[in-house]
Amino acid sequence: MSQVRIRVPEKAKAGDVITVRALVTHPMEVMQTRDGKPVEKNYNFIHKVEASYNGKPVLEAETTQAVSQNPFFSFTIKVNEPGKVRVIFHDTEGKTYTGEADIKF
Amino acid sequence: MNTIPQHNHDAGRRRALRLFGGAGVAAMIPLGLLPGTAAAASGLGMPKPDEKVEQTLERLFGKRPLQAAGDKMKVELPLIAENGAVVPVRIESNLPMQANSYVKNIYIITDKNRRPLNARMSLTPDAGKLSIATNIRMGGTSDVRVIAETSDGNLYQFKQEVKVTVGGCGG
Repeated sequence: MSQVRIRVPEKAKAGDVITVRALVTHPMEVMQTRDGKPVEKNYNFIHKVEASYNGKPVLEAETTQAVSQNPFFSFTIKVNEPGKVRVIFHDTEGKTYTGEADIKF
Repeated sequence: MNTIPQHNHDAGRRRALRLFGGAGVAAMIPLGLLPGTAAAASGLGMPKPDEKVEQTLERLFGKRPLQAAGDKMKVELPLIAENGAVVPVRIESNLPMQANSYVKNIYIITDKNRRPLNARMSLTPDAGKLSIATNIRMGGTSDVRVIAETSDGNLYQFKQEVKVTVGGCGG
């Protein structure tokens, strides 16, 4: 159900700084309060995002419930050789959502 | 006039039932609570306590001074956000991203949210340039801070008020 979409430039040159846009379909459930107290429930949101290029980490984000539904992240990578961008989203239920994209030269 | 005593009688019965019911629930708590607390201890999804923005800043940075970002960092934020559930943030900076000097962490903090830290992003020099974007939630009109922490320990802060027309749910 949940899925990751990644957008990268079609072509890159060695030494280019490319912009990667990653989006995951996720509800990012928020905390509900009743009479000012949190309602007991396990909230399901993405708490960690990891992005790597050819296995080398580029970005790691710690996210909270205060990130919008269907979270979107855009970041840059300096590419020196062709390779694969991998973005992994971890949610608090222990599920992971992975997306990959190839960078061609 | 007949209805009043009847009502009282009913209420009494209800109270008795509630008492019994309450006793039943109380008896069940010791059994039911144990797995619950264990889950809460490991549960990443459990709500964390509310925090004031000063507490968040102290927790993250201790007593280190925050410098104004000035022209070191450019942050695109709307002045008025119609929907607090989706507020786009774009951060660009000309701070160096070299192996020996780079931006280590970016913090996005909404002052008046129940839990002010929206997101922390850690970067490596492989990013090449600082340019990140995401969408955040805001509970209401508030200041939004973006704080960049460089590898040599400097903190640069950008602050702007965003007016929110429709709150984006507690966040």
